[in-house]
Amino acid sequence: MKKHHPKVVQGTAASAGIGIGTAWILEDEETIVRPEKIEKEEVEQHLEKFENAKKSVIKDYLHLKKMTDDEDVAAIIEAQIQTLKDPELNSLIEAKIHGKKYGVIYAVFSTFNEYIQLMETSDARWLNDRSIDVISIRDQLIHFLQDRRKKQPIPKKAVVLAREVSPTVLIQLSRMEISGIVMEKGGLTSHAVILSQSLGIPCVVGAPWKKYQIHNGTEAILDGVTGEVIFKPFDSQREEFKQREASQKHKLEENLKWTRKPHEALCGTKFTLRANIEFLEELSRLAPFGAKGVGLLRTETILFQTEKFDVNEQVDFYSKVAEASNHEPVTIRLFDAGGDKLLDNVASDANPFLGWRGVRMLLDEKVLLEKQLEAIYRVSGLHKGKLKILIPMISSLEEVIAIKKHIEEVKTKLLNDSVEIDPDVPIGIMVEVPSTALMAKEIGRHADFFSIGTNDLTQYTLAVDRVNEKISHLFQPNHPSVWKLIKMIKEGADHNNIPVAVCGEMASDPKAAACFLGLGINDLSMNTGAIPGVQAVLCKHTITQMQEFAALVLEAEQTAQIIELFKHWGNENPD
Amino acid sequence: MITQKVKVKNESGLHARPSSVLVKVASRFESDFFIRMYGYKVNGKSILGVMTLAAECGAEMELIVDGPDEEDAMKEIAELFEKEFEISD
Repeated sequence: MKKHHPKVVQGTAASAGIGIGTAWILEDEETIVRPEKIEKEEVEQHLEKFENAKKSVIKDYLHLKKMTDDEDVAAIIEAQIQTLKDPELNSLIEAKIHGKKYGVIYAVFSTFNEYIQLMETSDARWLNDRSIDVISIRDQLIHFLQDRRKKQPIPKKAVVLAREVSPTVLIQLSRMEISGIVMEKGGLTSHAVILSQSLGIPCVVGAPWKKYQIHNGTEAILDGVTGEVIFKPFDSQREEFKQREASQKHKLEENLKWTRKPHEALCGTKFTLRANIEFLEELSRLAPFGAKGVGLLRTETILFQTEKFDVNEQVDFYSKVAEASNHEPVTIRLFDAGGDKLLDNVASDANPFLGWRGVRMLLDEKVLLEKQLEAIYRVSGLHKGKLKILIPMISSLEEVIAIKKHIEEVKTKLLNDSVEIDPDVPIGIMVEVPSTALMAKEIGRHADFFSIGTNDLTQYTLAVDRVNEKISHLFQPNHPSVWKLIKMIKEGADHNNIPVAVCGEMASDPKAAACFLGLGINDLSMNTGAIPGVQAVLCKHTITQMQEFAALVLEAEQTAQIIELFKHWGNENPD
Repeated sequence: MITQKVKVKNESGLHARPSSVLVKVASRFESDFFIRMYGYKVNGKSILGVMTLAAECGAEMELIVDGPDEEDAMKEIAELFEKEFEISD
């Protein structure tokens, strides 16, 4: 027997948990096809190959359709099947095979491309967006024909290896009982990472797995806590990771026990942990993790998915979230994305994070804003006292005043149409730009609450683009200046007697959460997966301990000092 | 062969979802089905053809049905336009 050596790849830990299984490579290489001619005798064979490829891909879609109970997903799959059965497309492909004597692969490739080009150059934005669906069918057919396609669906317990994973693919993967995900690219704040934490899938990013010859089926292990990835482990290593898995599971179960306890510190001081939610798939995790409603509902994805930001589709989405939250509140953040992502004829910003986004874009795009507000207020009538609105990217008081004027207009219009609404939906401000933190006292007078977005506050304060991998080491949420601003925000809120919440990723770090409580910020929202760990630490300490900790953090002059404080604090309390 | 003029009434136009519904219904019939719009003529049983028309709300088009069950087919297809494809949008 040939002796083997385990291959170890070190990445960045992104989502906790151990995954043990077999490697499964998620292809993303670009499909390149050259025109190849065939002989007359081969025509039949190539037509048959095309039929088989089509049948096989249709079968996959039918299987996928059976697995989903989501009506929208089913409709998308149905359209994919219709495309595969499209009579015009099929006769064009067949004509290229028996008429022009092109090989089946080129016939498929070129015919699809003609349609794709038509869709991509259309004036209709929705049609541009749909081209991705047709591209994916094209590639599925080509992969089948080139025999590159996985013959089996993703095996259970697979460790999925990819360059990068989109949020949509991640959701698909989450339904397949995979063991974990290893990405070559990706910073810690990408949506896929946040989602993997929320869905409880172990994940390692920034892992250069491609430098090894990894094949599907190679045994693989990943540790989402240490960032290690091991291929072909020794028996002893496998055992070690199994033990780690058991101990992590034990710890998670221990932490999960805390989620059944009240949200109270050791001394009885109350706090509230809520969930950050983006997809309906995440809602089932609210109850088991003891989340008190949704502290941040991201609406970008739903808006990208709806046609022309349709009001009814939004109403449906917000209603489902409100229902899943029982009697707990839901804070809906208005659409927060760059304008280039959603409107035609907009040149992309050179500095998108400093550009036309959040409230800046909403104030310019009145139809988009009004449709979203209408949907929210329509739902508010059915769930009185439950919804809150959060305005993203505020950098001046003028913006607050302007958007509140729009809100009043939408309310008046709906009331005139005799629509039942909740007129008292609290309007909060996302504090993520330093100018707003500095003006918290003044701006707070015009807000019903503050919610601190720590990722953006960090990047704007430190002038560090958080998606730029080259300077990712400079992205330090624990920079003393960030904590100073947080304190300033809290003081501004206290001055106006309004509550402050934190909905940024920082809240999911148990020790940062303790520090927030120490500063008097008791309302924290995070991805559901982080709740048990945070709750365990908060429940095990008294508010005095946390206040002392916060005081030390605020005295620090360097990030390293704060990191050191974080390392040592709280370890004295036994589990 | 029978023809009939219809108008796209749903707010978002003949986007992906309505196109899919239209093709699904049309494919149930044996008759050939074509849509003529702005001088284009596409196969109404081809989802890619229908989608690439990118017909917006208010667009007028001519439905052409030809075959043994053309009467029934036209009735059902025209009704779809009338009922805005029975999907909320």
